[in-house]
Amino acid sequence: MAARRGLTLIIAGTAAVALAYAAAFFPAAALRWAPWAMTVGIGFLCAGFMVLGAARPGRSLGPIWIPVAFTFVVLVVGLGLALALPGTEGPTTRLLAGLPPRAALVLYGVGLLPALVLPLGYALTFKRFTLDAADIERIRSAREQRDGSLP
Amino acid sequence: MTLALALQTAALPRVAQPTVLFSALAYMLVVAVIAAWASRRTRTARDFFVAGDGIGVWTLAIAAMAATLSGFTFIGGPGLVYSLGLGAVFIVLPASLTNTMTTWTLAKRLRLLAEVRGLITVPDAIGARYRSRSAQGLAGIAMLVAIVGYMATNALALGLVIDAVFGTGLPAGIWIGSAIMVAYSAAGGMLAGVYTDVFQGIVMAAASLLVFYYALGSGGGLAGISRSILASDPTFLGPWGKVSPLGALSFFFVFGIGALAQPHVIHKFYMLRDPLRLKWYPAIMTLALMVTVLLYFGVGIAVKALVAEGTMAPLARADDATPQFLLGFAPVALAGLVFAGVAAAIMSTVNSFMNVGAAVVTHDLPVALGRRVHNELLWGRLTTVLLAAVAALVAQVSGTLVAFLGIFGWGLFASTLVPALAIGLNWPGATRAGAIASIATGLVSTLAFESMAYFRVYAFPAGVTISGLSLVLSLLVFFVVSRATRGQASDVDPDIRLVMDT
Repeated sequence: MAARRGLTLIIAGTAAVALAYAAAFFPAAALRWAPWAMTVGIGFLCAGFMVLGAARPGRSLGPIWIPVAFTFVVLVVGLGLALALPGTEGPTTRLLAGLPPRAALVLYGVGLLPALVLPLGYALTFKRFTLDAADIERIRSAREQRDGSLP
Repeated sequence: MTLALALQTAALPRVAQPTVLFSALAYMLVVAVIAAWASRRTRTARDFFVAGDGIGVWTLAIAAMAATLSGFTFIGGPGLVYSLGLGAVFIVLPASLTNTMTTWTLAKRLRLLAEVRGLITVPDAIGARYRSRSAQGLAGIAMLVAIVGYMATNALALGLVIDAVFGTGLPAGIWIGSAIMVAYSAAGGMLAGVYTDVFQGIVMAAASLLVFYYALGSGGGLAGISRSILASDPTFLGPWGKVSPLGALSFFFVFGIGALAQPHVIHKFYMLRDPLRLKWYPAIMTLALMVTVLLYFGVGIAVKALVAEGTMAPLARADDATPQFLLGFAPVALAGLVFAGVAAAIMSTVNSFMNVGAAVVTHDLPVALGRRVHNELLWGRLTTVLLAAVAALVAQVSGTLVAFLGIFGWGLFASTLVPALAIGLNWPGATRAGAIASIATGLVSTLAFESMAYFRVYAFPAGVTISGLSLVLSLLVFFVVSRATRGQASDVDPDIRLVMDT
């Protein structure tokens, strides 16, 4: 079930990115929404690949959905706000941690927050939801079976 | 928009000072010692191609980071930030998530494939997944085209660095650099590769961190740098810099999703001694990668601010950003470390390509033709020398050809391997026909579109990255053909299916 969701996200993301590129071949009006399609597409694709990779038949994603959903929200909201907020950068712009607000949103939000959350999410869910010693034992048994059946 | 802007093809300023020379020589000496140690331990093809699958997670992560980042991170990248502003940062921005995404998607499955089948190459995994020698061979050919281009570009870049440090002249620089890389790659194979990568990765990370510190200091901190830039060129610090929003997002798409299929990086998953140690791989790799790309961003904006303030003269060429900054605003010892770091970045990437390319020639292509090469270790070594010689020759003969070949690399890997590998290893519905069609689509569309753009036959609209367009096309073809041939979907060996379900 989780794998199907991941695949659906990847297909939706691919379609959104394809739409964004297709729009670029048309007049300027289409270019206004092309970056939005690309933003949504990137969010879907990144979340989709993570879900597809983490999914295992007959098991739920468990708490893995939390860092994945977080990343999706950070990507779509961070890049979306950078698109939506008016460009007011200038000499008197108030800085946020040393950068103009829209740049800070992109660098600290999209460029930093997933780096703090995703690896931790992966490590904390690894043993229960990704791989344990019993899984490796099953794989080794399969290898022995295969080796034994080869001429 | 092509990826040609990421190529280093012009000469660097001369930095032949005693401290820089000493740092470069000391660096080469350490590489030589590691290579000599590794060559004595390389006894089988498995040692040569996958380091005897016996490395730890720290080694894996730092070696993967060193292989991921080429000299572009230190020279071309900061120059690109100086020219394009924050839009250029979208090339490295996905680093915050690509490692975890790649680990979830591929690391466990590739490592378990090594466990169950003893696979040693990325096309091996495609061949095993789809029970198809054609898919394996086609993936190998696509990789080889990209590898030769990548290697030629990096041989030229290394020649430029050696010329800047030792004043050898470019042709001699190319051959000296290639000879050093061949010496340790052919003798020690991947075993030498990963341990030199670890040393090189540490040099790169240390250089980047220190330069970032000096870069911030030179402009009065990040706020001071921002104020200087905003006073003269506010667009530079807009979220997209001087690139269109679609162009910047297109960078994110290509370098984010494309990271799933860089064979010189994901091939290293086969080498991990204990699969359970993957637990901490994303954390170590992400930290190492993010520290090492600090220089990319820091030097780019610091130089822009220094030029805006009038402290530094405007650059004649964007690629001068790092050398000019080091020579004017950092201790000379740090300049030595950074030039060693540049050489390290190039050599670690090329070494991985040599190894992966040699494996394609001596393993994947013969397997695709239904043959086996006897003594893969010997032929692997000979092919490594041959590939390096071809790359050096191409780099020396034609700068134009190098630029043309170099633009294929990343995009070709992405468009040919992401669907068949990253999706195919996780989705039982993927079919052999879908994989072959998507690899062929990625190969043909990348070569055709990049050629059309390079030779100015057709100008793609602003914001359309050719690599991105090719990747989308190959993804669409993969889904459509897999759907159309879904009757083949159950044609997966039981042990491979077990890996996919684990």
